Amino acid sequence: MTDEMIMEAVKRGELQQASVLFERYNKRIFNFLARMTMDRDLAEDLTQNVFLRIIKYRSSYKEGARFQSWIYQVARNIFSDHYQAHKNRIADFVDVEKVSDYMPDPEESEMLDEREKLLHKSLARLGEEQRELLILTRFQQMKYEEVALIMDTTVANIKVKVHRAIVKLREHYFELEKI
Amino acid sequence: MEKEKLEALLIEYIDGTLTESERLAVEHELKVNEHANKMFRQLQEVMDVMQTSSRIEPSVKLKLGFEEFLKQEMFSTKKSKTVLFQPGFYRVAAAIALLIIGGGVGFWISREQRQADEFEAVKKEMELTKKMMMAMLDNQQSASQRVLGATVAYNDIEKADDEIVQALIEAMNDDENTNVRIAALEALGKFHNQPHVRKALIASLRTQKDPLVQIALIRLMVEMKEKNITKELERISNDEEALPAVKEEAQAGIFKLS
Repeated sequence: MTDEMIMEAVKRGELQQASVLFERYNKRIFNFLARMTMDRDLAEDLTQNVFLRIIKYRSSYKEGARFQSWIYQVARNIFSDHYQAHKNRIADFVDVEKVSDYMPDPEESEMLDEREKLLHKSLARLGEEQRELLILTRFQQMKYEEVALIMDTTVANIKVKVHRAIVKLREHYFELEKI
Repeated sequence: MEKEKLEALLIEYIDGTLTESERLAVEHELKVNEHANKMFRQLQEVMDVMQTSSRIEPSVKLKLGFEEFLKQEMFSTKKSKTVLFQPGFYRVAAAIALLIIGGGVGFWISREQRQADEFEAVKKEMELTKKMMMAMLDNQQSASQRVLGATVAYNDIEKADDEIVQALIEAMNDDENTNVRIAALEALGKFHNQPHVRKALIASLRTQKDPLVQIALIRLMVEMKEKNITKELERISNDEEALPAVKEEAQAGIFKLS
């Protein structure tokens, strides 16, 4: 059964079906939000809100719409609502040097590749849009077409922006490596 | 090659999305351009780290929280469904039921109202009859009018109130006309089941001097099986002043009641 068919069943009132969508998407949405917020606990709360919103506002799901695009749009809205409500931007409070400590479980921390720690720090130095584009296209391996749908723009535009974001990340990465 | 153009080509080269000719052009550039080569290695490392970056696992709290919410939502939807989202059929059925109940209540109210109106009319009529009867009994000029008043009480009044009973008792004991006294006695006889009427009849037997009324009273009391009058009947039967007919009636009464 496709995501869309399941969501349509949820919309018709078969709420139990929502747990299938949760199983399919909770880790991806959590990873997206964890890398966006760089805070696991906050990311769990926001992921929870994404699924609550999907169930509560199930009637707003348009039949035939791609479910993946819809759920990511909801996740993006929840992320921006959270920061607007707190009048904070991630760059204002994330200590770039400590970013890698926010992210993994303490047990996993020791095992983390040095390169990956460097990557987290570099990512935190990017602007919100560039970070988001890299998370979707590189960490989550989403196609440019899918990201264009989520962000409601053209594939060409996404492609150019992703290239710039990778180049920017490279700069930060090798700058930090020297330190 | 322009810097931005080169960067874009290198990224796509790593991604493996270039056309054959573009790929060959990039590979040529990498051979001849050291800066491009360095850029390529750095981009490859960054993109490789992103690609292989470990996934972050959410805690079990996330799933538990979701399941709890889903359970609550299913419960509240079910609850509201029974009230708000019943199929149209039930809503129509409920509307019809309401109409029937409404009609029934309306009918009942109008029937109650009609009965109340009827009751009011009867009450008014009775008031009128009573007024007429009292006025007749009170007519000092005409004994026949007073007899008619007692007859109205006998024929038209179902239950006598204190005022009627009192007027009839006065007529029975004190009216100067025997016919009026007997007519009042007959009317009172009709209400003998009312306790105060019974008491008044017993008391009247003690004081009554009119032989015709005395005889009528004794007959009525015997008919009522009023045993409390036995002593009074004995007194009458021994009363020297009493007429023989009255004495005989008293003795017969004692016999019938014994």
